[in-house]
Amino acid sequence: MQRPAPLVILKDVHLTLSSAAGAVNILSGVSLDIGPGEAVALLGPSGSGKSSLLMVAAGLESVTSGEVVLSGKEITRLGEDALARFRRSKVGIVFQSFHLIPTMTALENVAVPLELAGKKNAFNRAKAELDAVGLSHRVDHYPSQLSGGEQQRVALARAMAPEPAVLFADEPTGNLDTATGEEIANLLFALRARSRTTLFLVTHEESLARRCGRIIRLKDGRIVADEPHLALAKA
Amino acid sequence: MPDVVLSWKLARREMRSGLSGFRIFFLCLVLGVASIAGIESLSAAFLTGLAEHGRTLLGGDIAVGLVHRPATAAERAFLEGYGRVSESVSMRAMAYAMRGDQAQERQLVELRAVDGSYPLFGAVSLSPAGSLARNLTCDAELCGAIAEQTLLDRLHLGLGGTVRIGTQKFRIAAVLGREPDRIAGGFSLGPHILISTDALPRTGLIQLGSLINYGYRIAFARDVPLDRFRRAAVAAFPDAGWEIRTRNNAAPGIRTFVEQVTMFLTLVGLTALAVGGVGAGQAVQAFLDRKRDEIATLKSLGADGAVIFLLFFMQVMAIALGAVLFGLALGAVIPFLVQFFFGADLPAPAHFAIYPRPLVFAAIFGLFSAIAFAVPPLARAREITPASLFRDIVAPAKRTARIPYIAGAVGAGAVVIGLALYLAPSPRFAEEFLGGAIAILFALRMIAVLLRLALKRAPRLKRPELRLALANLARPGAATAGVITALGLGLTLLATVALLDSTISAQVKDSLPETAPSFFFVDIQPDQASVFDATIHRFRTASAYRRTPMIRGRIVSLRGVAAKDAKVASDAKWALAGDRGITYAAGRPDDAKITEGSWWPANYAGPTLISFDAELARGMGLKVGDTMTLNVLGREIEGRIANLRDVNFRSGRQNFILILSPGLIDKAPHTFLATVRVDPAEEEALYRAVTDRFPNVSAVRVKDAIAEVNTLLQELAFGVRAASLVTIIAGLLVLAGAIAAGARARLYDATVLKVVGATRAWLAGVFMLEYGLLGVLTGALGLGAGTLAAYLVSREIFDVPFAFDLTAAILTVFGGAAVTLLFGLVGAWTALAARPARQLRAP
Repeated sequence: MQRPAPLVILKDVHLTLSSAAGAVNILSGVSLDIGPGEAVALLGPSGSGKSSLLMVAAGLESVTSGEVVLSGKEITRLGEDALARFRRSKVGIVFQSFHLIPTMTALENVAVPLELAGKKNAFNRAKAELDAVGLSHRVDHYPSQLSGGEQQRVALARAMAPEPAVLFADEPTGNLDTATGEEIANLLFALRARSRTTLFLVTHEESLARRCGRIIRLKDGRIVADEPHLALAKA
Repeated sequence: MPDVVLSWKLARREMRSGLSGFRIFFLCLVLGVASIAGIESLSAAFLTGLAEHGRTLLGGDIAVGLVHRPATAAERAFLEGYGRVSESVSMRAMAYAMRGDQAQERQLVELRAVDGSYPLFGAVSLSPAGSLARNLTCDAELCGAIAEQTLLDRLHLGLGGTVRIGTQKFRIAAVLGREPDRIAGGFSLGPHILISTDALPRTGLIQLGSLINYGYRIAFARDVPLDRFRRAAVAAFPDAGWEIRTRNNAAPGIRTFVEQVTMFLTLVGLTALAVGGVGAGQAVQAFLDRKRDEIATLKSLGADGAVIFLLFFMQVMAIALGAVLFGLALGAVIPFLVQFFFGADLPAPAHFAIYPRPLVFAAIFGLFSAIAFAVPPLARAREITPASLFRDIVAPAKRTARIPYIAGAVGAGAVVIGLALYLAPSPRFAEEFLGGAIAILFALRMIAVLLRLALKRAPRLKRPELRLALANLARPGAATAGVITALGLGLTLLATVALLDSTISAQVKDSLPETAPSFFFVDIQPDQASVFDATIHRFRTASAYRRTPMIRGRIVSLRGVAAKDAKVASDAKWALAGDRGITYAAGRPDDAKITEGSWWPANYAGPTLISFDAELARGMGLKVGDTMTLNVLGREIEGRIANLRDVNFRSGRQNFILILSPGLIDKAPHTFLATVRVDPAEEEALYRAVTDRFPNVSAVRVKDAIAEVNTLLQELAFGVRAASLVTIIAGLLVLAGAIAAGARARLYDATVLKVVGATRAWLAGVFMLEYGLLGVLTGALGLGAGTLAAYLVSREIFDVPFAFDLTAAILTVFGGAAVTLLFGLVGAWTALAARPARQLRAP
């Protein structure tokens, strides 16, 4: 059987950022392919470049050199606005700090990407997504009226609402207590399983990473290991 | 356009959570718009009032003025062909308080003789009330007169008291309140007194060549177009030399004054708007800084730059619209407040109403200023990348606005400037004012940027308080740039106005005594000349005595082109506006500084030659050899310019813009003007000697006239200073806004410093140093820029030597420092008072 074309391709990606103390190499020649429906965990110590790699792959950050192809489109040379338009339908992102818009209700937060994408039934779909994360009773609440776990559920609903090709999650349980983190992780994997969306998960928790089919380890901006998770691979 | 609809939806959601960060933005706009709307509405009220009351202010549909001579029978018949005519005769004269047969106190008065038809429109207010005609009647010995209370006070007379004018005695029958047509009469050197035209010949003041103005007001019997009357009058009596004024421009001087003051105050209002604009820009920047994560999140969700820009632009403009509407409402009310508080004391009639035109202009000024100042930070926010969610705090990305947005902001600024220039009656003044304001704003901004760079690179100081204070001034988000720019511009305007005031006051008060005479004597008859000379020479300290022939006439054509059609620079128009004093001389006067051409030979007896003011010649495009026609006593005299002179009007001496060669002009009936300087000790004796001996001669004390002018100037300066305070208030709002914006960072710093052992007194010392330094610096910059501006204005526009005033300087610098310190410490109070534990526990 022919292997389907990869959904995310990074070829020899370098990222150098300037800071007050001088140029800092964040990523040094990272190459990887992620196939459709894969769940990939990116593990590594603090400062290894995990979040930067996620940003590059999600089209949030421009690379210094190398090539990034996402969902069949080379995004390396796209401008800021073209990238934004591309993300509307192809990419969903969940942040460690939730990043909900404080002036909007939960429903409106979830509807925003749909509205940006010009979807007519944005609010109906947003409502359905909130139902799916168990927050149908909180639709009109503002972020400040929600707990951390609830905020991250809204963020998950928002990320999944446009039915993205890839869901990027940056330490989604990092700001939550153990129990709530567990709930969010369960929800994340449940939603992914339902939609068969490709998942790119940045974490420093081995246990969370083990729920993915593939684990990539990063150190000092380089991939030091890229292997299928045995338990799942065997399964 | 889907982006607009979506942006508006998102903006509406945003606005639900309130707009607390926009208080300063709102107030700055309200202040600027309200002041412009108020000034322009008040101006419209006065200009409408002047237009509506034109007939009353002029005293008729038409006013015809003649100098030196009354209308001939034919001229009078022509005027009467249009309707009822009222004649009045005005001149300056001396009034003597009579006690028995003794003339006691004396005073220069503005004498006006009126006939039985006066006034054709409106009424003269008298106290006690009564008939004007009955109050002015004469018997065999005495005539009635009504005089202003000021005259009675100065002559120590009451009602029923007797004054002598010329050779006739008058009984003061009533106190003169208001003459309906007085405003059209111009500047007064003395109190007014009204007598009847029948009484005037009895004074003996009607002498050939005396400076007497004859006025004829006509109440049209039927409606006649004003222009048609003017054309008919000129056609019927081309050589009459009369000055014709019409009811639609009854008080051109007042009208021009109102327009000029409006222009200046509107420009001050615009400066306030610019100062406020700096604050508005800062408020938008602070607001967007708080929204940075939200913008980055929206971008990560797929919002493009246009959506982000529109989303926040719409919010900002919604607030701007609210502020403009509120400002317009306040501005529209200002004329009614003026009416409520000062209605009875207003010097000119005003029609108080809501005028849409000024409000529309004020709205345009407000909205476009908001765009000009808000777009740059909004355009920078458009460039926020989603990556800033992760690392902007550590390594903030450098964001520059795209060119179309910058062009948009500049275009909005150009609309404001263009409209200001369009509205200004003197575009050159407006150009210079706005150019200066923009240059100063830009220079202050540059200084603020350089200061911040210098502070960043400065070597580390040993004293921690000073080090921290300087670091606070240089850190991102510090109030430094806003305060230096906004408050600096406000203080610059205040310093400029204060220093110009002191310069002009110094010019009026201090520079005159060295060169100016003590007295001007007007209307000395030729047959009195030698006795007059002898009277003056009896005084030991009398010096610089000069007696010059004087005749009134006006310039009617330049190089054969009628004066009204000639192209003349605005600063030379005054010389064509009416009668001017003309003299003649065979030899060159000692103080005449000829810049071009040469004086005529002492025995010259050919066609008339003219020595003319060099600056006016430039303004009128005249040079040596050009011809000029003058109308003197109804007769036209053509002359050729023989030379041009520098005339220094500030010398206080006799200054004639026109000196003619003798031969023709000296045959015209004329009087003499004399000036003399005398020691203060002999002043009163000389005054009495002249006025006792020559009752027809008007004596003007120069120091009294100067005091009169000075009072006017002081009132004007006070008004201008008060208006300039608007910019200071705008500057203080910006200061308050900048301090409020930095409050959270200050609270955090203070908490951490307290944790490591800083006391509140120590922190207060740091804040005092920080704001004190900022205030002194801003004050000094305002003073520096204000001094430069005042210097340039006094040298280039007023042409007077600049006088630096230390008091104004100290007040500017320390005033600036004091308010900055006060606002800074009030703003820092929360940080000083906060308990660290509570702050550390806060989420």
